[in-house]
Amino acid sequence: MTRAATGSREIILDILLEVLERERFVHDILRQALEKYQYLEKSDRAFITRTAEGTVENLLAIDQVIDQCAKVKVVKQKPVIRTILRMSVYQLLWMDRVPDRAVCSEAVKLAKGRRFGDLSGFVNGVLRNVARRREEFDFSDWSLRYSVPEWILDMWRQQYTDETVERMLQAFLADSPVTVRCNLSLAAMEQIVESLEKQGVRVSVSPLSPQVLCLEKYDYLDRLEAFRRGWICVQDPSSALVAAAAEPAFGDQVLDVCGAPGGKSLHMADKLRGTGMVTVRDLTEEKIRLVQENIDRTGAGNIQTEVWDALEFDERWEEKADIVIADLPCSGLGVIGKKPDIKYRASREKIDALISLQQQILSVVSRYVKPGGTLVYSTCTINCKENEEQRKWFLEGFPFLPENIEGRLGEAVKEDTLKDGYVQLLPGRYPCDGFFIAVFRKIKGSKK
Amino acid sequence: MAIRQIRTIGDEILRKECKAVKEMSHRIRQLIEDMFETMYEANGVGLAAPQVGILKQIVVIDVEDGNQYVLINPEILEQRGSQTGPEGCLSVPGKHGTVTRPDYVKVRALDEDMQEFELEAEEFLARAICHECDHLHGDLYVDIVEGELMDNGEESEEE
Repeated sequence: MTRAATGSREIILDILLEVLERERFVHDILRQALEKYQYLEKSDRAFITRTAEGTVENLLAIDQVIDQCAKVKVVKQKPVIRTILRMSVYQLLWMDRVPDRAVCSEAVKLAKGRRFGDLSGFVNGVLRNVARRREEFDFSDWSLRYSVPEWILDMWRQQYTDETVERMLQAFLADSPVTVRCNLSLAAMEQIVESLEKQGVRVSVSPLSPQVLCLEKYDYLDRLEAFRRGWICVQDPSSALVAAAAEPAFGDQVLDVCGAPGGKSLHMADKLRGTGMVTVRDLTEEKIRLVQENIDRTGAGNIQTEVWDALEFDERWEEKADIVIADLPCSGLGVIGKKPDIKYRASREKIDALISLQQQILSVVSRYVKPGGTLVYSTCTINCKENEEQRKWFLEGFPFLPENIEGRLGEAVKEDTLKDGYVQLLPGRYPCDGFFIAVFRKIKGSKK
Repeated sequence: MAIRQIRTIGDEILRKECKAVKEMSHRIRQLIEDMFETMYEANGVGLAAPQVGILKQIVVIDVEDGNQYVLINPEILEQRGSQTGPEGCLSVPGKHGTVTRPDYVKVRALDEDMQEFELEAEEFLARAICHECDHLHGDLYVDIVEGELMDNGEESEEE
């Protein structure tokens, strides 16, 4: 046997080919790769993560640089070649500690290894050109500096001040810790923190929710005792505010109509302390399997799953739910910090289709709410058409009133809109994803 | 001592089952010496007897952990876990590919004095043991490679 020369860069190339050429999500592919290549040193894993994520995050600026320095434009290059160039340009311009010569020779090696030996001269030439002209590149334009398509920036600038938008853009690119919500019905906060710290994890409490912890300095989540015992579930603090906003009472029947992977529902079940019942639905077996895995890990008994298309009316549930959670499919523009690929794949047309899907689902699932019961609508996006305007549309056509949620979201969230039952959380303003929550109460005696 | 010729893929001998060694002999001692020498000369970390054309259950391994392992008539008793990583073979020159192997193996074998011993190995050593033991049964890593075989880059040829 020989020690083969595959290294981190081959792994990065494979990850990026999946993400940039086959529309897979970088966080998924990266997680799979790191799980698969467990033999890698910690430093290699960090290099792979940083290079793969960084390349995706800064893609617009990277492509601009390549187009400036190569005779053949990025769109016309062969997928393997443009991917090698993209990851190499990221290393040249964004990573100080990798010497230029190493980046170029590794890129040439990659090209040869993938049977593009005849293009290795092209790769080498473009990269040396980039390295030589590094001072020339101008990223003052926001679209390039933050690598967000112009149309998304326009949309946000219409709704928010430039300062707010820029803080948001900066927050998307900043590193954010992994956050987990604690299942307090299983263990006390102190016990969970102690277990994590004993395993060397650096723990801090999220300013947004005392039940959410920020974790740093760990390798694999599933090696943490607190995770294996179901004491913690990965969840953004913004999404953990959904259960807080819904304010369930012991014994409530809760229906989560698009619930995978189950974070909000498990939070509800935790808040119900074993009483009542949370029913989690989603469209596919696969999604429900994800929910079930999370349920099994926590061992919660007051939660059940079901494959069900939210568009299809289920008369068994008509006016049966104390709380309906409608965390609906959305453009996801609030989570581009964690899933940077979303910003390149979104489009106005896709958003229009989502808006109509959201309305169709709301029309169906609002019928499940008991008179006097609660409907929570949430999305992980920042787009008034999917959020504020959708709320308005709903209030105009359905027998619901906005529910005052002042005080429900804790000390940190202070917005005037809370009394009107909704909040748009913006990264940069709050340490969380971009997220929208609206709470409605069904009018008693309504027949619709 | 001599460097022997390494058989490469396509040579039928690599696909044959090897015979157990019944007793130590001067010639077998010489073969083991030669196998180490041939392996080092080719920058390998492991070599099995069929790779130099001898259908005997003999494996030599040196993964630079300070040991020279000789495994005669090896038998994998236990295996656990999995590791996925790059692997190459002296009989498939200039190539490498991704192979998933157990992360832990326990192997029973005889040493050069025909004394039985057991060896527990993890990570890279476990990979090498699996790779070499496969050779004794006519199996090559190209049979179980995940994805395509890749060419070693020019600079990495001698690694």
